[in-house]
Amino acid sequence: MNFKYITVLIAFVFTFTNTNAQISKVEILATGLTCSMCSNAINKQLKSLPEVDSVGVDLNTNTFTVHISENTAISPRKLKERVEKAGFFVGSMIVTMTFDNVAIPNDNKIEIDGFSFMVLESGSPLLNGSVPFRILDKGYVTQKEFKKLSKAHSKIPTFLGGGEDDYHIKIQSL
Amino acid sequence: MRKFLVIIFTLSFYGVKSQELFVVTDPASNVPTGSLGVRLGHSLFKEVFEPGYNYHLMPEITYGINKSLMVRTSAFISNRNNSLYAEGFGVFAKYRFYSIDDLHSHFRMAAFGRYSFNRADIHQEQIETMGHNTGYEGGIVATQLIKKVAISTSISYEKAMDNRPDYEFPTSQGNTASNYTLSVGRLMYPKKYTTFKETNINLMLEFMGQTILENGKTFLDVIPSIQFIFNSQSRIDIGYRRELYSSMLRSAPNGIYLNLDYTFFNVGG
Repeated sequence: MNFKYITVLIAFVFTFTNTNAQISKVEILATGLTCSMCSNAINKQLKSLPEVDSVGVDLNTNTFTVHISENTAISPRKLKERVEKAGFFVGSMIVTMTFDNVAIPNDNKIEIDGFSFMVLESGSPLLNGSVPFRILDKGYVTQKEFKKLSKAHSKIPTFLGGGEDDYHIKIQSL
Repeated sequence: MRKFLVIIFTLSFYGVKSQELFVVTDPASNVPTGSLGVRLGHSLFKEVFEPGYNYHLMPEITYGINKSLMVRTSAFISNRNNSLYAEGFGVFAKYRFYSIDDLHSHFRMAAFGRYSFNRADIHQEQIETMGHNTGYEGGIVATQLIKKVAISTSISYEKAMDNRPDYEFPTSQGNTASNYTLSVGRLMYPKKYTTFKETNINLMLEFMGQTILENGKTFLDVIPSIQFIFNSQSRIDIGYRRELYSSMLRSAPNGIYLNLDYTFFNVGG
């Protein structure tokens, strides 16, 4: 087996495991807010990211709808960090991704732009069109909810101590 | 005192959005990372032992270094010598070390410290490193938000030193104190938010007390205030400070505050 063959093999495997999909929209529910000035701080933090096209805000529910520019990859972690920089926390993050008939593999792991998404809950084995999913990791849900989730998913080692760009998700509806 | 406790409890049972951007105290929350807050603080207090008013001008700059740490620098300018005179400056830092946030509540704690230099004459027993005394202050603050009502309380230790170069701290007075504060805030308008441009109106009620540790002399003040927030970016606070009780000598305990605030977001990334 020569080096060239291995390279081709790696490239072949990579194209198959790295699913072609794009984050189009992220809905963030922020917690710990008391005022529209605080919402504005988060709003300005999110808008300053180059990958962000626009931000819609519901001041009464503190929900930020972040539209991502086309053909750009963004890590959900980056968005979470921006909310925290403003002095608040993420209570819920729903990521909408566009898929083209992608089957959830047996190990439940989808690799997109170098980020790993492990499907913990899903109603269907096939992902097609705009698919919203919720990130269940620490820092993406309230502290209370994470306590419950970590009990429920205690058998998944990466859930409690995975990499910072390894996400665990629940597919919302298909 | 009982009356005020009733007011606090009444406020805390209304399920209305509230504020923790208090007028005379700091909450456990910090300014956002990379944002620059500029304040022009004015206060006009009636002199007790002489005719007239004591005017203080206090420009401040606050910067959020990261999500946990903010720093502030203040200048103290007063008219005590009839013309405006720069009496000193102060530096302040606050570190948020504890946060539990939930959808409709949060509890946060922070530690803070201040050092101030002042060269004005020492003319009262009250220790105030914000504009009167050279010295330092260190303490902790806890802020709770329950069903959108914010209540904040702090306790601190304050030590006054000589106001160099001309004024030594009088040996007859105690130069260390403990301070305690209690603040409650409530949003009055709007009932429901529509845009960032909408003006917000908040009502605040704050209590500030001090006990001189050497001799037990104490005061307790109440500060009701109204706050307007414009465009989710600038603020005007108008407050009235009134002495409720005092066993110490204070030269001008009662007066009004007028703060003008502006926040520049994402100045430092």
